[in-house]
Amino acid sequence: MRRALSLIVLLVLAVGLASALRGPSVGAEARRASLIDDDEVNFGRRYNSRAVEETGASNVVASVLVTYRGLDTLGEVTVLFVAATGLAALLHTGRRRRSEREATPASLIVFTGCRFLFPLILLFGAYIFAHGHLTPGGGFQGGAIIASGFLLIYLGCRGRQPESKRLSAVESLAGLAFVLIGLIGLAVGGSFLLNFLPEGSPYALLSAGIIPVVYVFIGFKVGSELGGIVGDLSGAR
Amino acid sequence: MVSPMLLIAAPLGLAFITPLLGLLSERLTRYVPAAAMAFNFTLGLLLLPRVLREPWIVETAGLRPPFSIHLVAGPLGVGLSLLIALVGLLVSIYAIGYVREGPVAKYHTLYLLLLVGATGMVLSADLFNLFVFFEILCISSYALVGYRGDRAGIESSAKYLVQGAIGSSLILLGIGFVYGLFGTLSMADIARNVDSVTPMKVFISMAFLITGFGVEAAVLPLNAWLPDAHSSAPSSISAILSGIAIKAGLYAVARVVFTIYGADTMPMLVLLVGILTLLVGEMSAFSQNNIKRLLAYSSIGQIGLIVFALGLASASGVQGALFLVVSHALAKALLFLSVGYMIYRTGSMEISSLYGMGRRMPVSSLCFTIGAFSLVGLPPFIGFAAKFTVIRAALAGAAPLLTALVAIVLLGTVVEGAYFFRIVQGLHFRPPPEGAAPEQTDQYEAPVSALVPICLLAAIIVAVGLYPGVLTKYLGPAAMDLLDKAAYIHHVLGV
Repeated sequence: MRRALSLIVLLVLAVGLASALRGPSVGAEARRASLIDDDEVNFGRRYNSRAVEETGASNVVASVLVTYRGLDTLGEVTVLFVAATGLAALLHTGRRRRSEREATPASLIVFTGCRFLFPLILLFGAYIFAHGHLTPGGGFQGGAIIASGFLLIYLGCRGRQPESKRLSAVESLAGLAFVLIGLIGLAVGGSFLLNFLPEGSPYALLSAGIIPVVYVFIGFKVGSELGGIVGDLSGAR
Repeated sequence: MVSPMLLIAAPLGLAFITPLLGLLSERLTRYVPAAAMAFNFTLGLLLLPRVLREPWIVETAGLRPPFSIHLVAGPLGVGLSLLIALVGLLVSIYAIGYVREGPVAKYHTLYLLLLVGATGMVLSADLFNLFVFFEILCISSYALVGYRGDRAGIESSAKYLVQGAIGSSLILLGIGFVYGLFGTLSMADIARNVDSVTPMKVFISMAFLITGFGVEAAVLPLNAWLPDAHSSAPSSISAILSGIAIKAGLYAVARVVFTIYGADTMPMLVLLVGILTLLVGEMSAFSQNNIKRLLAYSSIGQIGLIVFALGLASASGVQGALFLVVSHALAKALLFLSVGYMIYRTGSMEISSLYGMGRRMPVSSLCFTIGAFSLVGLPPFIGFAAKFTVIRAALAGAAPLLTALVAIVLLGTVVEGAYFFRIVQGLHFRPPPEGAAPEQTDQYEAPVSALVPICLLAAIIVAVGLYPGVLTKYLGPAAMDLLDKAAYIHHVLGV
């Protein structure tokens, strides 16, 4: 009975969705066709044509993430922060109950391999977030790569775990720095997350104003946060 | 430099450094949420006169709307963020002494982020940004519900998480739809173009958004998570969830329906959903023996009444709904806070174990009584003025059907009165249960850090109840902020 009911609900939903999606999907487009010269166009089209000139970032995705939708990105960073903090808070009680189990050390080959790879992974992650405004990638991707380095350490070098206090401090300071950059924009130009640094010439490493700066902080934050989550889940901190 | 943006940015920055402060001294983190909310309250008061003249459009990244995210700090946005700051401030003062066990620094971080999420929701004028702040609010409340780490807490937190995640996915689908239809995410820009697509498409996207936000707003078929979540959370969190979090969900629903889709009449269904939610909530509350579950069900009942008032879709109806939002936020926060230490002292949530509390915890019991009478709608308190506004708005058109519905609303109020009077009578006139601790009034009463916010809330409830004029003069502009779609579009886009 329950299964039949849920199937019916799904069917109704599917039919409704299909009928709604039929026909031209961008309804407002036709109405706005006359206004294209007046910038009153579809967001995507405007970003594609103007982003490089407006923000100086050759990676349009980065300019959308950090400039046009910068507040959303700050929000997403906060969502990740909330998730990491909430997970740590919920695991807090469970951890005390768990008995101290002795971790068997990994073999010499694994240990050496992890120690060898860890700095390279960090370097690659840093490369990804530092070049976010030029090439595909950015703070979140670079941070995830860095966190995979921490995962490797937790798995392979059990004796040498990153200190959770340091991770937490980096996480806090990087988040604060993001908010402060936004506030500097507010103080200088009256607009939160304003790109107050010079744009430079596109395709150069030092270009696009605050975008690479923000991406570096996001990279640090996401890296330490995901690293902390991995540590929490493995019961290490 | 003074800008409504600071209402979000300042507490957010403080929340980010709270873990760092926690490394230095865990005691210090207890004062962070209170400091942040005191700042927000002051700033909100400073901004209010200005935004009453004209809404303050806050752009980000130096681009004019609709091409970047913008906030609209109108009478409604700033008014609600003032309410969030006030209740948040009082509850965080309470939590300074109340939250002693567990990862305290994380509690205060999450609590502050919950309030940041709520403030961001009421200020944002961008649909996706609204969703991002909604997620901040929801995820921090999932974690806080399970804060105590006991079985009931984790279970209800998981239940809440699953239902909330389904709701969030529906919202995301709805936003995807809207973006596909209109190519924009700015609420004003969507509102301007909403009649350029077929009604079917409008309906589908609206249904997704309303259902999704409706989970957090706890409207009837979507509220299965609420009684468990509100009753197993720590009392300070129950107060915020009932007082603020549900209202944020309701705000999102109302903003989507009134401002984006510009509904000037509501289908009868909305009124019926409101009435049903009211009746089911009050009836379930009536049969509870657990005081926190009772309060949680009573919140569902009040939400039903607010939905009913919003469903009237008239200026006076929306004013009444906003009045109820304020009165319920204050009264329910007061009830959960005053009951918090009673439960702490007796170690039980059974109503029968609270008998005779009037002598052992006189101040808490008196304030509980004030909150309960205000919720029921007795005259000298704020709840009376709020309920009276709603009922007057419903009877304004003299439609026979509405009159019948008002009768049902009043019936719900009678049920509400019955169970609250039962508790109040038990508190003051029944002997304490066998084996209760002996009378040691000075040690038994809640500590000062808890009594200050409780008494302040009670004082506000009485003061606004006696002089409703201090509040009602802001309700009119706030209701128009929600209802007047053309003015909203004009302010944001300048057309």
